[in-house]
Amino acid sequence: MNKTKKIFKAREMTSFLFLMGLFIIVGILNPSFMSVNNVAACFNTSVVYTLVAVGMAFTIFVGEIDVSVGSNLGFVATVVGSLLRDGANWGFAFTVGIIIGVIIGLINGWGVAIMKVPSLIFTLGTNGILRGMMYIYTGGAWVENLPKSFKDFSAVTLIGKFTVYYCCAVILVVLIHMALTRTRRGRYFWAVGDNAGGAELVGIPVVRTKVMAYVICGILSAAAGIIFCSRIGFVTSASGNGYEMKAVAACVLGGISLTGGVGTVIGAAIGAVIMASISYLLVFMGFSSNYDNAITGIILITIVVFDALMQRRAAVKNRRARLVARTAAGTAKEAGE
Amino acid sequence: MSGTEEKAAPLLSIRNVYKSFGLNEVLKGIDMDVMHGEVLALIGGNGAGKSTLMKIIMGIYTHDKGELLFRGEEIVQTRGTAAALAKGIYMVPQEPLLFPNMTVEENILIGFTQSKAELHKELVDTMEEIGWNLDLSRKASSLSIAEQQLVEILRGILRHAQLLILDEPTSALTFDEVKSLFRCVSDLQAKGIGIIYITHRLAEVFEIATHVAIMRDGMITIQGPVDGFTREDLVKGLLPPDAELTKHAGAASVKNVDYSAAPVLELKNFSGFGFSDISLKVYPGEILGVAGVVGAGRTEMATTIFGMDKVLGGSVLLGGTDITGRKTKQVIAAGLNYVPEDRHLNGLFKICDVAANTTSSALFSKMMGNLFLNRKMEHDVTQKYVDSFRTKVTGHDQLTGSLSGGNQQKIVIGRSLSTTPKIVILDEPTRGIDAAARGDVYSIIHQLREEGVSILLISSDMEEIMELADRAVTMYQGRINAEFRNDDINQDNLMAASFGILEGGADA
Repeated sequence: MNKTKKIFKAREMTSFLFLMGLFIIVGILNPSFMSVNNVAACFNTSVVYTLVAVGMAFTIFVGEIDVSVGSNLGFVATVVGSLLRDGANWGFAFTVGIIIGVIIGLINGWGVAIMKVPSLIFTLGTNGILRGMMYIYTGGAWVENLPKSFKDFSAVTLIGKFTVYYCCAVILVVLIHMALTRTRRGRYFWAVGDNAGGAELVGIPVVRTKVMAYVICGILSAAAGIIFCSRIGFVTSASGNGYEMKAVAACVLGGISLTGGVGTVIGAAIGAVIMASISYLLVFMGFSSNYDNAITGIILITIVVFDALMQRRAAVKNRRARLVARTAAGTAKEAGE
Repeated sequence: MSGTEEKAAPLLSIRNVYKSFGLNEVLKGIDMDVMHGEVLALIGGNGAGKSTLMKIIMGIYTHDKGELLFRGEEIVQTRGTAAALAKGIYMVPQEPLLFPNMTVEENILIGFTQSKAELHKELVDTMEEIGWNLDLSRKASSLSIAEQQLVEILRGILRHAQLLILDEPTSALTFDEVKSLFRCVSDLQAKGIGIIYITHRLAEVFEIATHVAIMRDGMITIQGPVDGFTREDLVKGLLPPDAELTKHAGAASVKNVDYSAAPVLELKNFSGFGFSDISLKVYPGEILGVAGVVGAGRTEMATTIFGMDKVLGGSVLLGGTDITGRKTKQVIAAGLNYVPEDRHLNGLFKICDVAANTTSSALFSKMMGNLFLNRKMEHDVTQKYVDSFRTKVTGHDQLTGSLSGGNQQKIVIGRSLSTTPKIVILDEPTRGIDAAARGDVYSIIHQLREEGVSILLISSDMEEIMELADRAVTMYQGRINAEFRNDDINQDNLMAASFGILEGGADA
């Protein structure tokens, strides 16, 4: 049927097949990997990446980027962790965490969409500020001794071997995907990244959509920070470092174009599982996890360079076709007379 | 309901509209009416103010003075296009602004508030009614320009647009595509939609327009039903009222060009993207003007000679040597330099200082030192051009981004000369600079000519060509369609040939 065909043609399908291939290759190299526990662990460990990558996807859809996600995550983890350590109830601590995420998103959105500062620079700045605030808040100390119930909750499973966190993340991603594809406003995110000038001309609120993208990214990174805190059980001053690269790589792996306007949050989520799996699989292939960042970087650059080459070729082709069409009118006229 | 009454009143009426950008007055009292079912062809040279007027109608700019009424209501001036869209005005830009990664259907339906199913039905019905076939699930990036324009027009129709603005819709279309576009324009017209049709091609006016208006220098010079005018009338409307029909006496060349000498630059059946089969010769110490309208292929020809795009056929001879398809660096070394049309985009290193800009083109030659920069040479070369061009700078270390447009242009010209070329291609050298600086640029050009440098002058400003050129050719739709000498270089001839009316030479 048409629908199944469409699913197989989708860019995220390629990513999914890539992930399966990855599992199979590692399984062949080291048969001890092939267990339900190990495969489930790949998915479960990806939950933090998933949330950050989906948030990142929103900013990339609108043609921008947010490199402050790692420090956002770390800062929220620090604040929420210390609140819980000091006996605050969960609901209060989580609410504070999410509000911090909203504020960070609004600040980034203001800088990028309203003040028109290049997004890489502006969010690099907020990244530095947030990381600095983590040091100031903790004085460089670790946030430890979190309530046992909070830490243990990260291991509670909901369906089969999948944790509550991962199941919730999957449901969230599916809901976001539906909201994006089935609603009118959902499409605005892609439209703004695809052609901001055109979006303006059909009456789409470009600035508001960009701010919205940053706020969503801020909220999801904050949520990732809370789950990070629960899963790891402590927060250091370096927590969340480097997550921006993982998130961008996850998006790109999931078929999202860095030029904006292309891709889905499902793709970002699959990409996140790939990123988490690579760290996990290195162990089974006998590599130290020191290779992790370098491999992520290589994957990111390879895909982006390939994508850029394709796009440039298409742009040159289009321009030339237009120019040829112009002269062709003259040629046709000449031939006619 | 009140259809009959509405038809009697103008759909759009513009009264005494003024607009300035800074000191530059772009619109000087525009009066214009568009009725239901009228196709108003709007013609005008570059910088006549057409696009400014359209942007005011769309609400992208606000006017300073005057009145705009759409269906009898004042168009409220808000920033942004939302109000115009809601009222039923839609503009199809020259280069369609689609979302390349979305399907045709998504492109058309985005920005609407109704339910998707409803819209889909309306869209299918509309397409059936007009008889257009477009695969709605195709990606916009796979559409031809003509199809993209159909998508844009459908967007407008679905918004129940009563007034459609088409901005040079045929400039990138093939012959057949133009025909199908005209068919749909007539369909829309039959439905009572008013259309403003901006074009550079006078032939099209008589083909599809019911009315015509000509804009020149921020004013409307000719307006009325098409039947009342001939092509010659329209050309006259494009010219300034006091147009001297002959070459300025004062500027008449003192020095005669020796046409028996070997040409400095010769193009033989030169073809590339955007131009085709160009043959021309530029002689030593000659200024050859290349006139035409925007999009005629002049800039593409220049950049292709300069090694920035692919050559499709023919050859370029510089002083007898074949430089066809050489890299930019080699072309400069061979003795040709190019001063681009958009000095901001292609020409200037804005955050570098005057000295670095002036000498940047010569960096490849040994003149500036081998490994380390020869600072003294840099200073001398810069001083030479600052002096001889009377460029107003505070010092060699001033950032070029902070200079006025005219002075920036002098720097770019100076830079191209620092490579001691035999011939320089100047592309729209005085666009966007003030009158005084324009005079300076003209005297620089004359000075160069005195020194024996040949110049290929690309300009859309007919007066500029008259003032400077020893000989002029016009380009129309990618090819050279006329050549003029001496007294034949006048606005009448140049304008007519640029718009494709006159072909061959002056006596044709």
